Amino acid sequence: MIMADKISIVINGKPREIPEGTFLLDAVRKEGITVPTLCHHKDLMPSGTCRLCICEIEVRGKKKLVTACNYPVREPLEVWTDSETVTRHRRILAEMYLGRWPNVRAVREIAGLCGVSESRFKGRYTEEDPQSCILCGHCVRACREFALERILDFAGRGIHRHIAMPFNEVDPHCIGCTSCAYVCPTGAIQIVDDLNQPVDPQMIRDHGMKVNAEMANLDPVQCRMREVGTANIVDVMNQYDLLPVKNYKYGSHPEVWKIDSKMLKAKYFTQNMPDGCWKGCSMACAKTIDDFELRTGPYKGQKVCVDGPEYETAAGGSNMGCFDADFIAEFNFYCDTYGIDTISAATTIAFVMECFENGVIDTGVTGGLELNFGSGDEVLELLHQMARGEGFGVDVGQGIRWLKDKWENEYGADRKFMDDIGMETKGLEVSEYVTKESLAQQCGYGMAIKGPQHDEAWLIFMDMVNNELPTYEHKAEALHYFPLWRTWFGLYGLCKLCWNDVVPADNKMTSEPQKVPDHVNNYFKFVEGMTGIKLDEQKMLDQSARVYNLQRVMSRMLGYGTRRDDYMPYRALGPVTAEEYESRQDRYDKQLREIVGVDPEGRSTSEKIKILRDYREDQYDKTVSVVYRRRGWDDNGVPTVERLKELGIDLPELVAIVEKNRG
Amino acid sequence: MQDLETISREVNRDLRAYKATLMVCTGTGCISAGAFNVRDALNRILKEKSLESDYLVIGTGCNGFCAVGPIVVVQPEGIFYQKVKAKGDVEEIVEKHLQKGSVVERLLYRDPATGQRFQTMADIGFFSKQRPIALRNKGIIDPENIEHYIGRGGYRAIRGILESGSPDEVIESVIKSGIRGRGGGGFPAGIKWRSAREAALQRREIPYVVCNADEGDPGAFMDRSIIEADPHSVIEGMMIGAFSVGANEGFVYVRKEYPLAMARLGKAIRQARERGLLGKNIFETEFSFDIHIHRGAGAFVCGESTALMASMSGKAGEPRAKYVHNVEYGYRDKPTVLNNVETWANIPVIIEKGSDWFASIGTGNVRENPWGGSSGTKVFSLVGAINNTGLVEVPMGVTLREIIYEIGGGIPGGRRFKAVQTGGPSGGCIPVEKLDMPVDFDSLTEAGSMMGSGGMIVMDDRTCMVDVAKYFTGFLMDESCGKCTPCREGLPALYETLDRICNGQGKEGDIEFLEEVSETVSATSLCQLGGTAGNPILSTIRYFRDEYHAHIRDKRCPAGHCKALITYSINHEKCTGCTLCALKCPSGAITGEKKQTHRIDPLKCIKCGICFEVCNFDAVEVK
Repeated sequence: MIMADKISIVINGKPREIPEGTFLLDAVRKEGITVPTLCHHKDLMPSGTCRLCICEIEVRGKKKLVTACNYPVREPLEVWTDSETVTRHRRILAEMYLGRWPNVRAVREIAGLCGVSESRFKGRYTEEDPQSCILCGHCVRACREFALERILDFAGRGIHRHIAMPFNEVDPHCIGCTSCAYVCPTGAIQIVDDLNQPVDPQMIRDHGMKVNAEMANLDPVQCRMREVGTANIVDVMNQYDLLPVKNYKYGSHPEVWKIDSKMLKAKYFTQNMPDGCWKGCSMACAKTIDDFELRTGPYKGQKVCVDGPEYETAAGGSNMGCFDADFIAEFNFYCDTYGIDTISAATTIAFVMECFENGVIDTGVTGGLELNFGSGDEVLELLHQMARGEGFGVDVGQGIRWLKDKWENEYGADRKFMDDIGMETKGLEVSEYVTKESLAQQCGYGMAIKGPQHDEAWLIFMDMVNNELPTYEHKAEALHYFPLWRTWFGLYGLCKLCWNDVVPADNKMTSEPQKVPDHVNNYFKFVEGMTGIKLDEQKMLDQSARVYNLQRVMSRMLGYGTRRDDYMPYRALGPVTAEEYESRQDRYDKQLREIVGVDPEGRSTSEKIKILRDYREDQYDKTVSVVYRRRGWDDNGVPTVERLKELGIDLPELVAIVEKNRG
Repeated sequence: MQDLETISREVNRDLRAYKATLMVCTGTGCISAGAFNVRDALNRILKEKSLESDYLVIGTGCNGFCAVGPIVVVQPEGIFYQKVKAKGDVEEIVEKHLQKGSVVERLLYRDPATGQRFQTMADIGFFSKQRPIALRNKGIIDPENIEHYIGRGGYRAIRGILESGSPDEVIESVIKSGIRGRGGGGFPAGIKWRSAREAALQRREIPYVVCNADEGDPGAFMDRSIIEADPHSVIEGMMIGAFSVGANEGFVYVRKEYPLAMARLGKAIRQARERGLLGKNIFETEFSFDIHIHRGAGAFVCGESTALMASMSGKAGEPRAKYVHNVEYGYRDKPTVLNNVETWANIPVIIEKGSDWFASIGTGNVRENPWGGSSGTKVFSLVGAINNTGLVEVPMGVTLREIIYEIGGGIPGGRRFKAVQTGGPSGGCIPVEKLDMPVDFDSLTEAGSMMGSGGMIVMDDRTCMVDVAKYFTGFLMDESCGKCTPCREGLPALYETLDRICNGQGKEGDIEFLEEVSETVSATSLCQLGGTAGNPILSTIRYFRDEYHAHIRDKRCPAGHCKALITYSINHEKCTGCTLCALKCPSGAITGEKKQTHRIDPLKCIKCGICFEVCNFDAVEVK
């Protein structure tokens, strides 16, 4: 984060240093000084309309009155928060409020603070209702900033100003997020219906609104989910050498600007609104391209709406070497339309491309398609073939594991090479992250029950970007905790994006920032507010572990679920080829020297690859063993009977499976 | 593109080929008085007499002397005919003046005081004291013909800059000229440009230039008239500004109530585009620029710069705090220079004649410090209780007395001058004691009023100052957007208090309440609508406190205006029993036989004042 320059200011005679751009009100309140406000809300952009927070400042020798809430301090100044002028005007303002809304509690409190108990402003506009709207605009701003909507706004001019929905009708676009009611200081906006009869709707709202406030205030400086969705990490992954390029050979590419979030935002994304998968969710992570004209396939020439691209799809493009956002959008559209997973398709085709470039297969096998990296037109043709059940597409549609078998059996292809670069485990293609430098993520992928996808253990960010898993123990603990925590979302059917994409401003100060404890607590409160059942970390882990272990036993029942199935192709662990090693030679040589303890000087690349490989495979192997123990499984990755007992799922048929397969 | 000199030579040669040109004022004022009929009649008669190749009729923009329209000026001599009617007068001008060469005496302007008639504009006091710079082409050119503007030297300033000037030099020159914003704020235009240019360079953004033509003050029509009379001067000014700050797009925000201005500006923009003066690579240089017209719906607050930009963006026209200025984050969050019509119209002349020349006109020394005085001229629309209603342009620093008496011709009906309201609704009222005050930005502010955009409403002794304060406060109350508390809540309270006072229900403490609240509204409002809303009240209390006291303590309206506080009666000694008042009385309150003294029934009297107006013997009295 860029630290702002400090500015010297004097607050009521006391010199202080504050970061440039701080709003004066924040600076003043930090000193414990009370400044009355009615339109200010800590989670909303200041609007400076109630004018109660006026303070007297002197800038460059000139004195003037400013509203502290929205005055950004950009140069040295002196401020007086309660000079004679300030208090005189504040009293009149408070009197105006008291005259208009004499019975509203918030108004009475402010008037009291300003020393006003009687008002000369009582008259024909006085509203006696204690729950009157006082035009603070919290609701209007919450609608905009929390929910990205414009359902509520002011109508009428001057004294006739009031809150309204368009045309004074109930707007059908209102998603019922209740943000407006939540921020209303007077009760003028009331919620008349709580769907599903939750036990404690207030508890749910209290924590939901916290999420909304964070989305409004922190997302713009953290993830920009509302701006560009998950595509924001294309840029980050490239920066950290984690973006898969050409079948995971490399982690970055100079042409990534053609497909990164800046490009997508500037030239592609058109829709930017809450998608409505959760009522009131303000993350709005889904992005859409409208009026996209297709170049190929059955809808060629038509303008369509593309649902995406998300990070995984964009990164699938780079993995196939296609740095072309037009291609990615079209690939995205047709995968969606055909019902094909973009990750499996992209990873499989990237594998096919590397095999093609290395002569494992040729155009005789591909039916004439020149499947070099970056050949977008051929990829689209292949995709159409897959959908039509024609030609080479029929084979590719079976996935990497199937292709490896076929090519070995029919063309005598090099099985070892294909195993090293064919990015699949348990028959599922790997999702779009380069894991070579993250042991935690290698195991996260390899040990995931349903195969190597990021849903179960996405540790790469905390491991590589945030450096939150520095030690071996941290990694093992993370591989116990996070798969269970992520499984828990599935148990309750809750979206996990508002857990760790945007995090509280003070998350780093907590003892376990990688867990985002404050947000975990939000979910516990959602459950408690809905069902009345209190949750804590242990209860959550036990709930998940029952399901997780059951899944592992079922895997075993289906012929998977042992140590052998939890290995990753070496491409996921380290450099397979000389070109890969040499492209990051400094890094690998350094690791050999400093971590492995081998002097790389004078050794050939293939020799160095071998040494590094032995080391890394050993590391992986050791981690797997430790994680098994932590999970209560035996060394072959099968849950122990004791663990099943502990979890209360030692049903005879499960015990039988476990016993039978003990390796 | 054709060379400007060639166009100029040809248009001037063509114009000189006529024996005379007849300039018919077709500004909005004269049009409503029948100027189009006059113009058409002239054309028709010339055609009937087969004189159309000898004489040319040109519809010009506002001549300025609106009180005496429709106006026809015969050039090159400059003979000034006033109140010309399409029937009769036009024939006479053609037959007598054009054909026989003798001036039509009865259509000449006649000084109301001396009765003397004047032949040419230069002789008439209304014109002779003026110094047209922003209005340099008014009444001289056809605003709908770009060649006329070019023929008068137009587009030379921008060409000169594009050929051999740099943005910094231009900005420096505008700063040195000392020109301050004519829209009301009086902020030095050059400094504004420099800030926008710096912000744009720093943030690598392309800025915008905007022309504020949202003239909303009651009784003001300076900007409308400039656009109607000389739209190209505004376009050229904006081009110069755009070049200086690095903009390639400009907007004119003009209110929909100005259809003629909008039409003429639209036509001017089209003509400029056709000539390559707007568009890509102007004068074959790198500079590209175009202008769009944005129509406003007429809310007064939209004249405030941030509200104007909100309105341009399709949002409700509400202002925002200006702690971050438009020159940094304005329209579409880009650095934006906003100046008003008159400011833009001045720019080409400043460039042509130099900043020293401009700075030498007006008050103070602006060469070193643009805040140090008021340079150049200012256009005022002179209205109210004044003989010569119209548009005047005078050097900064002339006195109110000169404007009102020498140019304006004094107060009609021999009545006494009471006050002049400057600066629009939120300006203030300046009393007779201050008549010798120089008119410039700082003096007006010091007197509790302001320059504003240049409205000047003259009031005579029949104007009640409490009622004036009430009128303007009411206007501002209606136009307040309601966003901030003091303006929204304060103005209705002030209005109600004033209304009570005018109704004879004023009480002790009202004046103090008015002062106290006006000060808070002015000091704490979000924008300058509220920020100046206290002026009408504070300035009238400051100069006419006695009148407030008369209303509150004595339940008396000294001006005889506030209906609740006056009674009409008939002076028996003066009444001749002519019955005129009884005939005209709309409520049947006056009774009396012919040649007998009449009387007014106070219960039936609605205090409309018609009897007072119509009585030829001053027999109706107001108390």
